[in-house]
Amino acid sequence: MAREREEILQDLANGVLNLDEELAVSAAHEAIAVGLNAFDAISNGLVVGMNQAGELYDQEEYFVPELLICSDAMYAALEILRPHLQKSDVTEKIACVIGVVEGDTHDIGKNLVKILLDVAGFEMHDLGRNVPLADFVEKAKEVNARLICLSTLMTTTMDGMASVIEMLKEEGIRDRFRVLIGGGPISKAFADRIGADGYADNAASAVKVAKELCAGFAAARA
Amino acid sequence: MMQRERLLRSLARESVDRPPFICPGGMMSMIVTEVMDRCGCSWPEAHSDAALMARLTAQTSLVAGVENVGVPFCMTVEAEGMGGTVDLGSRENEPRIVAYAMEKLSDLDRITALNPAEGRAKVCVDAVRLLKREVPQLPIVANLTGPVSLATSLVDPLLYYRALRRDPEGARRLTEIATENAIVFGDALIEAGADAVCIADPSATGELIGGKAFADFVLPQLNRMTGHFRSWGIPSIVHICGDVKALGTVLAALEAEAVSVDAMVGIPQLKELACGKVTMGNVSTFLLEKRDPDAVRRAGNDCLEKGVDILAPACGIGPRTPIENIRALAESVRKDG
Repeated sequence: MAREREEILQDLANGVLNLDEELAVSAAHEAIAVGLNAFDAISNGLVVGMNQAGELYDQEEYFVPELLICSDAMYAALEILRPHLQKSDVTEKIACVIGVVEGDTHDIGKNLVKILLDVAGFEMHDLGRNVPLADFVEKAKEVNARLICLSTLMTTTMDGMASVIEMLKEEGIRDRFRVLIGGGPISKAFADRIGADGYADNAASAVKVAKELCAGFAAARA
Repeated sequence: MMQRERLLRSLARESVDRPPFICPGGMMSMIVTEVMDRCGCSWPEAHSDAALMARLTAQTSLVAGVENVGVPFCMTVEAEGMGGTVDLGSRENEPRIVAYAMEKLSDLDRITALNPAEGRAKVCVDAVRLLKREVPQLPIVANLTGPVSLATSLVDPLLYYRALRRDPEGARRLTEIATENAIVFGDALIEAGADAVCIADPSATGELIGGKAFADFVLPQLNRMTGHFRSWGIPSIVHICGDVKALGTVLAALEAEAVSVDAMVGIPQLKELACGKVTMGNVSTFLLEKRDPDAVRRAGNDCLEKGVDILAPACGIGPRTPIENIRALAESVRKDG
C-alpha cells in the first residue's frame, strides 16, 4: 500500500537534512510513483529539509561539509521531481545576480548563499569568482535582476563593492536593484558607508536579509 | 636586545625587555605598495626572484619597523611545486591557484613531490640565505601553508569539504600528503637559516569545518608539523583564522609554541583557551589599513595591556596600508618597554 503524503514529505526533508541522498532520491521516485504533486514534494519536502539544514548551520551544529552534502541530496531529488512540475507551479521568481568581486577567488561563502537563495525561491545567476565589477551591472540589467549579491573575503577587494554601487548610480539605475554584501571583512558599518542596502554575516542570515530587501518587489508584483 | 633574540626568547617563554612586533609573512603578509615603491621592487616580480624577495621583506622591516623578515609572500609555493597552476597576481593582488593539480580526491598520482631545489620553492630558500647574511639581527620566519589550505589548493575545496564527511579516508590521505610536503619545504627553509615557522590554515577554520573536523583532520597534522620542527630546535607559530569559538577546547591540544588569532578573538579568551602558550595578535588589519596612526597605536596598546606576548596584525596586512600606520604599531611596543 502506498504511503501517506506526510511520510513521503518527511523522507524528502529528512533525506536532505540528514545528508542521506539515497533516502531523498528514493522518496522523490516514490512521490512521483504515487502521484504526489511535484511542487508539493519540493516545497513541503526538500525545501523544508534544506531550511532546517540552514538553521543548523546558523546554530553551528552543521558546517560547510554538511551543508554541501545536504544540498547535493536536495539537488539530486530535485532533478527527479522537476520534470513533473505543472506549468501553473512555475511562478515568476525574483532574479538575483551573485558573485565574488574582482581580485578575490574565495567562493565558499558565495556558494552557500547561492544554494540557500536558490532554495528560498530566487532565480540565481552565478557569475562565479574574481568577477570584473562591470559584469555585475551588465548581468543584472540583462536578466532584469532585483537583487545583486557581492561577496569578498579580502580587505583588498572590499572597495570593489563600492565601485559596483557607483556604476549603478552613474547609469541612473541604482533604484532598480537591492545590493546585498557579505564576506569576512565586511561589516554593517561598511555596508552603510558604501550605500549597500543590506549586509549579512553568514549564509543563513543572507537569505533572511534578501527576503526582507525584496519583500517590496514581491508585494508590488502580487 | 636584538630583534632575533627577542622573538626567539619570547617564543621560548624566556624573559624579554619588551614584546616583539612581527608580521610573519605568507598569508600573514607584511608587504605594502609604499615599500615596494621605495625599494624599487614589487609584486608580482618579487614572488619569483630571490634577491627581490629578500630585499622587499628586509626593506619592510627597515622602513616600517616590523621586527622580522619572512618568506614567501603567498600561500601558493607548495601547491605550485606539487603540480598546481598559479597566477602570480599583480602589484596589489597576491598569487592564487588558477588550476588544481587534481580533478578529484583520488587523483593522488597527479601530484608531484615538492622539490625545494626547484621553482619558487628554491627562490624562497635562496631568499632566506640572502637574508641570513644581510640582516642577521632579524629573525627569519618560514611561512608554511597549513594542511587543509594546501589540500584545498590541490583539489577543488568543495570536493575536499564534502570528503571530510563522505570520504574521510580520502580526505585524510590528501591532508597527510599536504602536511608531508609542507614539512619538506619548511625543512629546506630552516636549513637555509629560518629561525621560526609560522603555519596558517585559513581553509580550516572552526567556522568552516567545525571543531570536530578540526580535531580529527587538522590538529594532528599541525602537531605533527610543529613537533617535527621542534626536533630541529625551531619554534612554531600557528595562526588560527576566524572565530575560535567553534573550536572550543581543541586549542588546548595544539602543541605549537605560539598561537596567533584573528581580530574578533579577545586576548583574555585566547589565554584561557590556549593555556600556557605564547599568545600573538591581534590588531585588526582593517583598522590598520583604514584608520589613522593614533587609532592604530591605541589598538596596539590595547593588545599589550591585555598581555599579548607578541604584538602582530590579526591577519595579512592589506597592500594599501600606509607605512605610517605600521610604524605606529611598531612604536606601541617600544613605548611600552
